[in-house]
Amino acid sequence: MTTPPVAIEVASIPRTSRGLWRDAFRRLMRNGPAIVGMVCIAIFVFGALLAPLIARYDPTIGSLADGRQGPSLAHLMGTDLQGRDEFARVLYGARISLTVGVVAVFFGLVGGTLVGAIAGGAGGLVDGVLMRVVDVLLAVPGILLAIGIVAWLGHGEIQIMLAVGISYSPIFARLLRGSLLALRESDYVIAARSMGASPTRILMRHMLPNALTPLIVQATLAAATAIIDVAGLGFLGLGPGDPRVAEWGEMLTDSSKFLQSAPYLILFPGAAIVISAIGFNLLGDGLREALDPRLKR
Amino acid sequence: MNLLSVHDLIVRFRTHDGTVHAVNGVSFDLNEGETLGLVGESGCGKSVTNLAVMRLLPSPAGRIEGGQVVFEGQDLLSLDESEMRDLRGKEIAMIFQDPMTSLNPVLTIEEQMVETIRAHRRVSKAEARAKTIELLSTVGIPQPESRLRNFPHQFSGGMRQRVMIAMALALEPKLLIADEPTTALDVTIQAQVLELLSRLAADRGTAVILITHDLGVVAGMTKRTNVMYAGFVVESATTADLFARPHHPYTVGLLHSMPRLDAQPGEPLIPIEGTPPDLRFAPVGCPFAPRCAWRVDRCWRENPVLEPMQPTQEIVTTGLQATHRIACWNQPTAEEAAAARPLRPGFTPAAPPTEDLS
Repeated sequence: MTTPPVAIEVASIPRTSRGLWRDAFRRLMRNGPAIVGMVCIAIFVFGALLAPLIARYDPTIGSLADGRQGPSLAHLMGTDLQGRDEFARVLYGARISLTVGVVAVFFGLVGGTLVGAIAGGAGGLVDGVLMRVVDVLLAVPGILLAIGIVAWLGHGEIQIMLAVGISYSPIFARLLRGSLLALRESDYVIAARSMGASPTRILMRHMLPNALTPLIVQATLAAATAIIDVAGLGFLGLGPGDPRVAEWGEMLTDSSKFLQSAPYLILFPGAAIVISAIGFNLLGDGLREALDPRLKR
Repeated sequence: MNLLSVHDLIVRFRTHDGTVHAVNGVSFDLNEGETLGLVGESGCGKSVTNLAVMRLLPSPAGRIEGGQVVFEGQDLLSLDESEMRDLRGKEIAMIFQDPMTSLNPVLTIEEQMVETIRAHRRVSKAEARAKTIELLSTVGIPQPESRLRNFPHQFSGGMRQRVMIAMALALEPKLLIADEPTTALDVTIQAQVLELLSRLAADRGTAVILITHDLGVVAGMTKRTNVMYAGFVVESATTADLFARPHHPYTVGLLHSMPRLDAQPGEPLIPIEGTPPDLRFAPVGCPFAPRCAWRVDRCWRENPVLEPMQPTQEIVTTGLQATHRIACWNQPTAEEAAAARPLRPGFTPAAPPTEDLS
């Protein structure tokens, strides 16, 4: 005869102290697609960091005599019109795409968080005015806004980061403000107020940390779009502006004329854009699931 | 001098559907160390009254439109927000209904309690931490040193409410407002938490306003009770007097709709028929009239005010000698209160007036 299982109230047993973030990390590591995403991102990050070690050729120097060779052992991804090694250019392109994409999202996150926190924290007239500005920015398609800003500020990496960042900030502002408004009436915020906590303290310590998770998810997903947008700007001729610099979008433009004779010139940078974007998307979805308290087991 | 004196408090909410008349001229006094129960069904204004005292009404919808709230001789309604902030937690603290949601999920217990103490006292982190450990052990949290670094989700509901009580009493406030402190807890835990609350409050001489819809809790925890209905206080008496001699038809109804241990087997519970009034309309007449078995014509036209049982009686508002006061035009007799229905021969509740009074 077996003894019946004893019912234990699990919640009352002090588990080994582990934070919310550690719980989320554990869930993330159990999520297959998220790991695939992280691997994709890791490949590009390492490729970008170690580009000088991996690539056997300088991405900016080629000889016209070697132009448009197909993939071979000497040139894994072939050579472009100017005879530059395509593999080296894709690797160095990862540097630009990843840094510009990630920094752009960071700019957008900082700007959006600032606006959203002021609007959601202050409320009233300030909130109304800021949100109408955000509405106007949201009404303009993001890439169009970015094109306008680059056209206004001129070529250059910083300009692209700013342009993409500004075009993304309204989304973050809106998202954060929404969470803050919901949190403002939450029990623990009212409880904190009833204990005499100051408004800044409530905003910084009680509301922002609780409003952070949707921002993190959105930022990861935005990194995917940012890489595509940066490539898009490059494709439209609004890239870094230096034709020697390897940038995925510009590489696509340069080789689009040879789509039939040298399709690999489109294939590799195109694949790089798609894979890195998918990587960030998968990671973002995984993060959403890992950080969502309703899915907590 | 009274510790707290609420006079003719009026609170309105402006919503898309119109103005909600949440609190309509509530007055009560509270002595130091006194326990007062506020009883009534959901939406009768008992929580709103206390949020108004704390000036924590949801803005901009909720507004105090009249009255006075005097705490230790100071009119709270005339203080600015930063003066009010100094008072909250230090002089008046609050315990909320749901301990599962009133602690911040991303901060440890230590962070939340130390923060509360340091918001009002100039003490070092270590001192605040020592105080926190002391408080947690006072409220019966085992191994407080190691539990400090836990997050709220690692505590059970009863334990969280103990933490809330510890936090509320951390600065030894003079007044503690407990808003349905045990409603969200298991019945077995309720008694423990209530016992803890009343013992700690008594030890420290803290005055308590206990908001509840549970008459059993009021009977065990308070010395004086105000019964609220539709934003009005309809009956006010010492708790012993109120339970022995309920006079307002609503109080009578409340007492009879509750199961009792001394009831005969098979004896039916008597519910209060109907639903509470829509607070978007200012009441004409007594707000309880539509549900009242004792209503007379006058009840439809005039809203009775809270008055002593004997008109000539001198009014004592606090303490154990508090005057039994009631707002009713046609009071049930003692026999009727016991039977929970009018016993007068030929009496039928007055029909609503046909002409439009609003």
